[in-house]
Amino acid sequence: MSVLNLNPQTVKQLKRFRSIKRGYWSAVLLGILVILCLVAELLVNSRALMVSYEGEWYFPTYGAQNPGTTFGLDYAYETNYRELRKKFETEDQGNWVLMPPVPYNAFENDLRVGNYPPNAPSLADEHYLGTDSTGRDILARLVYGFRIAIAFSTLLLVFNYVAGIIIGCAMGYFGGAFDLLFQRVIEIWSNIPFLYVIMIVASVVVPTFFTLVVVLALLGWTQLTWNMRTSTYKEKGREYVSAARALGAGNIRIVGSHILPNTIAVIVTFIPFSIASGITFLTALDYLGFGLPPPTPSWGELLSQGTNQLQAPWIVTSVVAAMVVVLLMVTYVGEAIREAFDPKQFTYYE
Amino acid sequence: MKLFEHTWLRVASRITAITMLVTVLFMVGCGEVDDVVTASDDESSEAEEAIEIVELPPIAVAEGDGLPAELPGDLEWLTNDSDPEFASPDAIRGGTFRTTITTFPLTLRLVGPDSNGFFAGYLRYNSFGPVSFHPSTRRAIPALATHWAFGDDGRSIYYRINPNARWSDGEPVTSDDFVFAVQFMRSEQIVAPWYNNYYTDRIRDVKAYDQYTYGVQGADAKPMDEMHYNYAFGPKPRHFHEMSNKWVEVYNWKPEPTTGPYHVGEVSKGKYIDLVRTENWWANDIRFYRYRFNPTRIRVKVIRDVNTEYQHFLKAEIDTFGLVLPDFWHDKAQGEEFDNGYIHKYWLYNQLPQPSIGMFFNTNEPMLAEKDVRYGIAHALNFKRVIDTILRGDYERLPTFQVGFGDYDNKTIKPRTFDLEKAAEYFERAGFSERDETGILTRDGQRLAFTVTYGQQHHTDRLVILKEEAKKAGLELELQLLDASAAFKKQQEKKHQIAWGGWNSQGFSPRYWEHFHSDNATKTQTNNITAYSDPAMDALIMKYRGSSIRSERIKLAHVLERLVHDSGVMVPSFQVPYTREAAWRWIRVPKSIGTPTTGSIFNSQANSAGSFSSGGLFWIDPAMKEETLEAKENGEAFDAVTIIQNDYRTQL
Repeated sequence: MSVLNLNPQTVKQLKRFRSIKRGYWSAVLLGILVILCLVAELLVNSRALMVSYEGEWYFPTYGAQNPGTTFGLDYAYETNYRELRKKFETEDQGNWVLMPPVPYNAFENDLRVGNYPPNAPSLADEHYLGTDSTGRDILARLVYGFRIAIAFSTLLLVFNYVAGIIIGCAMGYFGGAFDLLFQRVIEIWSNIPFLYVIMIVASVVVPTFFTLVVVLALLGWTQLTWNMRTSTYKEKGREYVSAARALGAGNIRIVGSHILPNTIAVIVTFIPFSIASGITFLTALDYLGFGLPPPTPSWGELLSQGTNQLQAPWIVTSVVAAMVVVLLMVTYVGEAIREAFDPKQFTYYE
Repeated sequence: MKLFEHTWLRVASRITAITMLVTVLFMVGCGEVDDVVTASDDESSEAEEAIEIVELPPIAVAEGDGLPAELPGDLEWLTNDSDPEFASPDAIRGGTFRTTITTFPLTLRLVGPDSNGFFAGYLRYNSFGPVSFHPSTRRAIPALATHWAFGDDGRSIYYRINPNARWSDGEPVTSDDFVFAVQFMRSEQIVAPWYNNYYTDRIRDVKAYDQYTYGVQGADAKPMDEMHYNYAFGPKPRHFHEMSNKWVEVYNWKPEPTTGPYHVGEVSKGKYIDLVRTENWWANDIRFYRYRFNPTRIRVKVIRDVNTEYQHFLKAEIDTFGLVLPDFWHDKAQGEEFDNGYIHKYWLYNQLPQPSIGMFFNTNEPMLAEKDVRYGIAHALNFKRVIDTILRGDYERLPTFQVGFGDYDNKTIKPRTFDLEKAAEYFERAGFSERDETGILTRDGQRLAFTVTYGQQHHTDRLVILKEEAKKAGLELELQLLDASAAFKKQQEKKHQIAWGGWNSQGFSPRYWEHFHSDNATKTQTNNITAYSDPAMDALIMKYRGSSIRSERIKLAHVLERLVHDSGVMVPSFQVPYTREAAWRWIRVPKSIGTPTTGSIFNSQANSAGSFSSGGLFWIDPAMKEETLEAKENGEAFDAVTIIQNDYRTQL
């Protein structure tokens, strides 16, 4: 702790957070999941982790693709490593292929003639959660969909918070006409029905990851401003601000190094809930067909497939279970953070 | 009569209320307001502007056109009372047939703004023309007219109206109603530029010779049957329409009297519309129309979502349900209602013109202007895999741009199939031989990658497979799903690279001018979405258009179809030469299930799929209904029934 040089208050809060078991372990688990999904290519992928072919080692996971000809196959497109594995096994000439635990990527259609997707979960086919209606592996799409959702909501959070904190602080700190003006702007702005805007955008252009983030951020930054404004306003009246000003500190210094650290509790407690809402937003948009373009792996798209194909319950069960688990964990973390940062804990009535 | 020869696939009419709302919002939001929207907005805001009654001008005839002043004496009057009847004499009249639409119509007018929705089909097919077409022989059969005769100029027809023909309000149908139809369709009060143009450009003259005889002159000479198809428009009731500058608003919810079996009855806005059988309908006992249109009432309910509709069907709240989509036929249409024989499944092969669907390349795009690239792409698309897997082998590969027109089909054309070697050969010829690190072919740093624009969400599954398979050939396809109307607009403006979609085909012969003539290549908002032009083809197209000799037209059509195939600007995708439907047991059909031109078995209207008089053959058996519902209550079972009717299947 000393390395980070945290102030005693923060250390206390962290300790308190750790003591809330449910939240703490959720945070740990979530952290692991995020790290795992960052290296998802090593775990869920149609490319092999390692191929040993005629004494040479190949690591195809990252980098350029290896055409089939690399391994003595008769085609120029990317090697099908699952077939290669089978081929090497039957040939038994010392060549081998090491596949990731889930040997499918999120895009390929595992289709066999006479076998109509969606297919139920099968250990033999290594589709542990089954396939969707075009024969894509559901687990693969869940994992990559999770990665996109987390990245999406994190990025959205950064945009929203940067704008929300700057504008909210400025409103609270400067007050007066600036405050009044922005209050009205935000009131008007927050009345724009965001779903319609997204639908309009989606009907004209194909939304990409970044256009979606930008559109949602443009409409979402207002949420935090009210809270930031209130807490800045409150802190501004405190003696330490007057003291700093008396010592000749400028506005930026006062807000940046004095007020902001004291309002951090507000920001931090909101973060998990913002992440959760980011994930639900993206899922909802994808479900409605206004989200990321196909064939991007996404939970919303799986959900819509699942609800259309209730005769294939593994689709809807998988994605609903995944959503429930992730959102629950995020909420537990949020609860724990709120509790840990709650100043009331240190208030004693005598 | 159906005037829309080629309309973009029905998808557009399946647009949900939400997407329509979006379109409206967008138009308003961008200040780029559509003419139609402003027109009605302005009018309503300038409240209570006086209604100006307008007297429609008499039929204007251009120089060189015009029918003779007197009915020619040497006409040979024809009729058709020999073709076989196709309805079942066992049919029972009565009962209410319950069916659905996805959105409530925005108007009950047949023309003018917003009149081209899905419900318009119910209204249009109840407006009979002078003749209709036999569903098996495809020859003309009497409808409002009993006899017809062709003029010497090769482009005029004379009709004798059945004196018993009545509008649903009891007024007789006279030749004046046909004259009025042209005046009406040419008038600007109906705010329908397409009809204005069609009835001016294609219909050159109409003349009433006596109360029941009239003549029509069209723009071009055509073979006889096609002349009916192009020029046999239906009448409009002069006694009903009061033309004014407010016609569009005044008649928005006033349904026009019909000449067909049904007219609009009770309307509950947003919920349902009833079509009621006209009492003592004039054609009740006429050959080709007797034993048909049996339910006395048709209730068309609004159900927005197909899955919800299916649930209603299972609860017997609607009588029939379409099962063309493979997942419905194979997976969803299962369970005790089917096993116990309460619901019957029907699969009827037909011989209708197939929609021209597939990928259309925009030749304005530099890479797609190269024939080798187009050929290469055609060989990189694995349609067979899509058919064999997610389409369950139910669909068939469409061999070429237009098929389903009998003798006009060029049966020697075989589609380009998935073949990596051929694809590689063509791509290499175009200079694409190196693969980049993602496995996509490149030429001087230019990647072989294209965007496919489409508007049907349920086609994503098919495109995803094509995309993955195309990668093997080193071709990248980016999928761009837009809402149906936005996709259509983009393709019409030729801003796409590759368009996925197609055109509905109708009529008796394929069409080339709209899709391939150079006139339409440079303009936006035309059906030539490939922007393709070829002087040799232009000449042939004009010759084909102007010819009235059937055998010559057939020969030309074969050559043209071959040229389309050779150009490679369109890759044909699938055809569905059948309809599949399910119906509760009490909905009965003739033994043949349908006719070779039946597009929908449980079609309550006179026509299906354009011009063929194949609808209204089913009936409701009240005794069976009672029996079935009782059995369902008591858990008793009948034999499960799945009928596959192969008689009309064409072997290509």
